[in-house]
Amino acid sequence: MRHWLTEYLADVKNSVLLNRPAGRAVTVYPDDVFLVSYPRVGSNWTRFLICNLLQPEEGLSLPAAEARIPGIYINSDRALRRLPRPRILKSHEPYDARYPRVIYIVRDPRDVAVSRYYFTLKWRGIPDGFPFEDFVKQRFLVAGNAVLNTGPWGDHVIGWLTARAEREEFLLVKYEDLKKDTAQELRRIATLLRVDPDSQRIARAIELSSFDRMRSLDQTEPLKWLKRGRSDVPFIREGRMGGWRTVLPEEAVAAIEAAWWPAMQLLGYELATHFSNGLPEPQVNAQVCEALAKSLKRGHGYAPYRAAALADQFPGAY
Amino acid sequence: MKSQVRQYLAGVRDAILLKATAGRSHTVFPDDRYLVSYPKSGNTWVRFLVANLVHSEFPTTFQNVDLRIPEVYNYSDRELRAFPRPRVLKTHEPFDFRYPKVIYIVRDPRDVALSKYHWIRKWRGIPDGYPVEDFVGRWIVAEFDQYLKAGSWADNVLSWLAMRASSVDFLLVRYEDLLGATRDQLRRMARFLGIEPSEEILTRAIDLSSADRMRTLEKKESREWRDTRPTRQDIPFVRKAAAGDWKTACPPGAVRQIEAAWWPLMKLLSYELASSPGSRTPEPLVHKGVCESLADVVRVRLEASREPAKPDAEPVAATKPIGAL
Repeated sequence: MRHWLTEYLADVKNSVLLNRPAGRAVTVYPDDVFLVSYPRVGSNWTRFLICNLLQPEEGLSLPAAEARIPGIYINSDRALRRLPRPRILKSHEPYDARYPRVIYIVRDPRDVAVSRYYFTLKWRGIPDGFPFEDFVKQRFLVAGNAVLNTGPWGDHVIGWLTARAEREEFLLVKYEDLKKDTAQELRRIATLLRVDPDSQRIARAIELSSFDRMRSLDQTEPLKWLKRGRSDVPFIREGRMGGWRTVLPEEAVAAIEAAWWPAMQLLGYELATHFSNGLPEPQVNAQVCEALAKSLKRGHGYAPYRAAALADQFPGAY
Repeated sequence: MKSQVRQYLAGVRDAILLKATAGRSHTVFPDDRYLVSYPKSGNTWVRFLVANLVHSEFPTTFQNVDLRIPEVYNYSDRELRAFPRPRVLKTHEPFDFRYPKVIYIVRDPRDVALSKYHWIRKWRGIPDGYPVEDFVGRWIVAEFDQYLKAGSWADNVLSWLAMRASSVDFLLVRYEDLLGATRDQLRRMARFLGIEPSEEILTRAIDLSSADRMRTLEKKESREWRDTRPTRQDIPFVRKAAAGDWKTACPPGAVRQIEAAWWPLMKLLSYELASSPGSRTPEPLVHKGVCESLADVVRVRLEASREPAKPDAEPVAATKPIGAL
């Protein structure tokens, strides 16, 4: 956390230069697409994939990708309004009713916790060697007033799904699926973006967005806003699944699963903890999660459907 | 151009003086309580009722209600932090995970639509005689929501229900129940806020917040109160303060549009539908399954809320009463 005086002066400077980050107050146009996720779930990789899908570029750097699909927390509303339309914007907001088209990325919360731990380390929020268990219980499961008021992982995911799971123009992408079968998931994203999902084009985009390539880019030309963080902790870290199994202590895993098991089951993240007294009272509504699971099984949230019918009845709804 | 310059200078001034409107990004304290609702759902009346309970010796008016139960859109975060704690705050936000204790007021969307129609007319957003059907079609997709960003009625209501319906720190109040049994519902709200009012104070608070009294106050204060100052003075803010106005005043086409969009959520909140199921096609704009999954918990809560509150029926929160100015 920066000193309040630094924050104050930065805010005054931003308002003089019309540079205050847009955040939740961002202006939304009806043809916008939002790349939404909880922080640390692979949205940077997805952004890179989309950039290379729309316009393959051998030497695409991380800052160049950020310029093409800008985040709403780094750029001012004024700057964002000047972008050519249709825009694709990156956001970590909890449910915002105004976003017309949404690609929502979700990832196993246990992996998110590990990734977030290292990000907080980079951002000097915790010292080296801070216990994982304390981090999960004090920093990850409870979210207070913060710069990004994204809230806890469970609320974020269930908030978006409750409002949009059965809607046209909402695409749920699991980070794990994106890892396992990048081509297929990118094809789904292409469909939502109304881009021709030509297999050669997809293959090229994947090749240009490989983990190794992004990792070396992070070392040679990192994102500008990350310069305030520690340079010895990488931003692009491991990019793998199930890393929590070796890193997270059992109690931390149990705490995450106790809080969000209905949401994890809904998304197919298997529980590792055996709760001897039955499943504990979760922090998300289990019945709601069950109802959402039925939508996902029916394929909602997975593919655009019934667009025409709705557009007829509610012009302007989409 | 001139207004842009003025806006820019106001922005710089607000940043220097720490006066930028707080809105969604205000600081939340663990002892805060919230009055949340979709706009035009009776929030101002509830603010009057609660404020008159706490400050029964100095009656609440349109100009001091914001000092007693501040609205997060009217103050900077710095000003809000300076209010005596525990604070009771008013917002129209869709679900915010930080709010520790929430009274959520919900009202029949067909009445909300009419109320909003006249409110937008009062703000000169639509002309007199603008077709209600056209207005409702735009209102359903949250077109008149540019400033508050509260989402559509269903987005706002369902976001809170899906996240908090079974929480003990969430009190669901139907505007219609509040109209029908004001004393019982107000007592319920007071207990939830940690106040145990005497019958006398309850009576006084209800009298001081009656629609007639609020209309009289509005006549006096309309040109000074910030929410009505810049608006048309020939259209009242306190309008009918009734339930079911839509039955006579809302054209059938508009009713059909609202019900087609949101019938699963209206059913969940026991708002009877006027249209035939056949006319409600194609699929609604809210998640049917989620609404069904909430049916049990919402029904139990609404039934419990309609039972007359017995003196010791609910445990009273052992917290200090709300902050007073």
